[in-house]
Amino acid sequence: MAFSAVATLLALGIFLIDTLSPLEGAIAVLYVLVVLIASRTSRREDIIVAAIASIALTILAYAVSYDFNDVGSPALRAIVSLAAIGMATMLALQNQAATETLAGQARLLNLSHDMIFVRDATGVVTFWNDAAEQIYGWSAAEAKGQIADTLLGTQYPADRAAIEIELVENGRWEGTLVQRTRSGSRIVVDSRWAARRDRQGRMTGVLETHTDITERQAAQDAVQQAQAELAHAARVATLGELTASIAHEVSQPLMAIVTNGEAGMRWLRRDPPDLHEVESALGRVIAEGRRASDIVKRIRAFLKKAPSPQSELAVGTLVEEAIALVQREFMRANVQLRVDLQAGLPNVSGDRIQLQQVLVNLLVNASQAMADHPGERLLSVDASYSHDIGVEIMVRDTGPGIPEEHLRRLFDPFFTTKRDGMGMGLAICRTTAEAHGGRLSVESLPNHGATFRLALPAIEGGVLE
Amino acid sequence: MTGNLMTKAASAQSENTPFVAIVDDDSGVRAALDSLFRSIGLETRLFGSAAELLEATLPRAPGCLILDVRLPTISGLDFQGQLAKHGIELPVVFMTGHGDIPMTVRAMKAGAVDFLSKPFRDQDMLDAVTGAIERDRRRRAESAQMKSLRAEYETLSPREREIMAHVVAGLMNKQVAGLIGLSEITVKIHRGNVMRKMGVRTLADLVRKAEALGISGP
Repeated sequence: MAFSAVATLLALGIFLIDTLSPLEGAIAVLYVLVVLIASRTSRREDIIVAAIASIALTILAYAVSYDFNDVGSPALRAIVSLAAIGMATMLALQNQAATETLAGQARLLNLSHDMIFVRDATGVVTFWNDAAEQIYGWSAAEAKGQIADTLLGTQYPADRAAIEIELVENGRWEGTLVQRTRSGSRIVVDSRWAARRDRQGRMTGVLETHTDITERQAAQDAVQQAQAELAHAARVATLGELTASIAHEVSQPLMAIVTNGEAGMRWLRRDPPDLHEVESALGRVIAEGRRASDIVKRIRAFLKKAPSPQSELAVGTLVEEAIALVQREFMRANVQLRVDLQAGLPNVSGDRIQLQQVLVNLLVNASQAMADHPGERLLSVDASYSHDIGVEIMVRDTGPGIPEEHLRRLFDPFFTTKRDGMGMGLAICRTTAEAHGGRLSVESLPNHGATFRLALPAIEGGVLE
Repeated sequence: MTGNLMTKAASAQSENTPFVAIVDDDSGVRAALDSLFRSIGLETRLFGSAAELLEATLPRAPGCLILDVRLPTISGLDFQGQLAKHGIELPVVFMTGHGDIPMTVRAMKAGAVDFLSKPFRDQDMLDAVTGAIERDRRRRAESAQMKSLRAEYETLSPREREIMAHVVAGLMNKQVAGLIGLSEITVKIHRGNVMRKMGVRTLADLVRKAEALGISGP
């Protein structure tokens, strides 16, 4: 409204000067200003009205002053003015069209349910859509000019500098972030960034799109938490079955410590004391103490409730650690163990404790299957690698085998053939295998034992010595 | 110099130094027991399994065996049974974890000297072991005596054995002569030979030896 009034007044002023003043100049060129001011309203009609009015007034002023008789320099001046007005109008219209397009795009961004904002290379917000206003809680006016990261307290999954490098290199970045809204609550967002560059390829800004996945994440977390708790309960149950052998395993070093201590005292009380013997007795006390503490550590790690982080694991170590937990049980059940690991096995990736749990479960099952079985009691653990399968760990027993009708239901939850079994062990094992991108399968012929195969994807280039 | 002398003295002594054979699958436990027994001057022999012990040659000195009730591949109790078949008569001291009471009973019945539950006090273990060694020493002495007694008896002729049986049964020379149809003089000569060969001076001694040999009348 204001721009229209200013433009109208200005047009009248120019007309009066053009008509009444004795100045011999292209005063009408100043109508260009009228068109430009009118263009500030961003309305196409205003530009056109201003242009037509300016042209009309120029011609009217010429007619009033010269009555079309003088076709010399005044006419030339009038024509130059008209050309200038025409060109200014063209440019203003073009500019208006471009602005219209941009505004349309911005309106589209406002329609999105995702929070979208644009920040410049220094992180200052320059655009902030409606969804961002609603969910983050700051209006566009409040957000603009603020540093986005500071305003939202954004927590990055990786080093911020590394993300910036990736953005500069690829022009885009994706990841999950944690942000804080105005009310102080934390939200988890899927974030996609696209870099905007100038003609020289320098980054001038970044368009960030955020999808609120707090609820989805919470649901996923709850499922994961429930799974972890179930797996933990199964681990406790497994170790519960091994109580007798674990008690024996812990009591061995403790007994050795006490006896070494007593022997050391006796060597010390001899006349003369045999200090060399005392020293070696003390050395053994220390070694046995460490051994006891290693056993406890191993069990505690196995019983830890929180999931351990995904890490690169050597297959050999994985197998050895699982065996260390149940070795005593093999002795009790009179089971002979044979381990054969292919040389140069690639590493696998995963949760150490969960994978250990799968192996411990398979080992204990195999050992129990053979406990009351007459004849050979051989438990073989083989690990091999092939391109198609990946790393395959095979646990094979020489027990009575698994009947056909059990075989199909073996991995079903709550299916058990043990008198006081929970029926969760193998179900959890299979879930764990699949969560690691692998498989757990079984084959068995009656009276020829059972073979469990745990296949896990190998890490490219991760090779065990 | 002194060291040398001591080594010589020790090796000369070792023929009769009592020993303890330890069978336990846990090398830490073996090493600890080894040190404990050596600290009171016993010799030790360490074995990781029952099979290792059966293959080894044990000293001839008095000794005893320490077994873990739970040995790998064979239970200590089954092993105890096998020992006799292999001619090993050493007294056995068992070590056990908690809650092996039924096994204790079985082991005791099978002739175990002692049963110690882990962890035990060193003095209890040493007492059990010295008791077992003492028992073995007696057994060895008795069996040596018995052996010489048998050897003496072996030297008797059938006729002399016959006469000895009657004599220890309390018969007079005359009665013996009448019973087996010899002259009293001949019986007297045979009887003198029996007394000499059996190394006794009095009838009472001969009766004692006869009892030890299980001879009680013809």
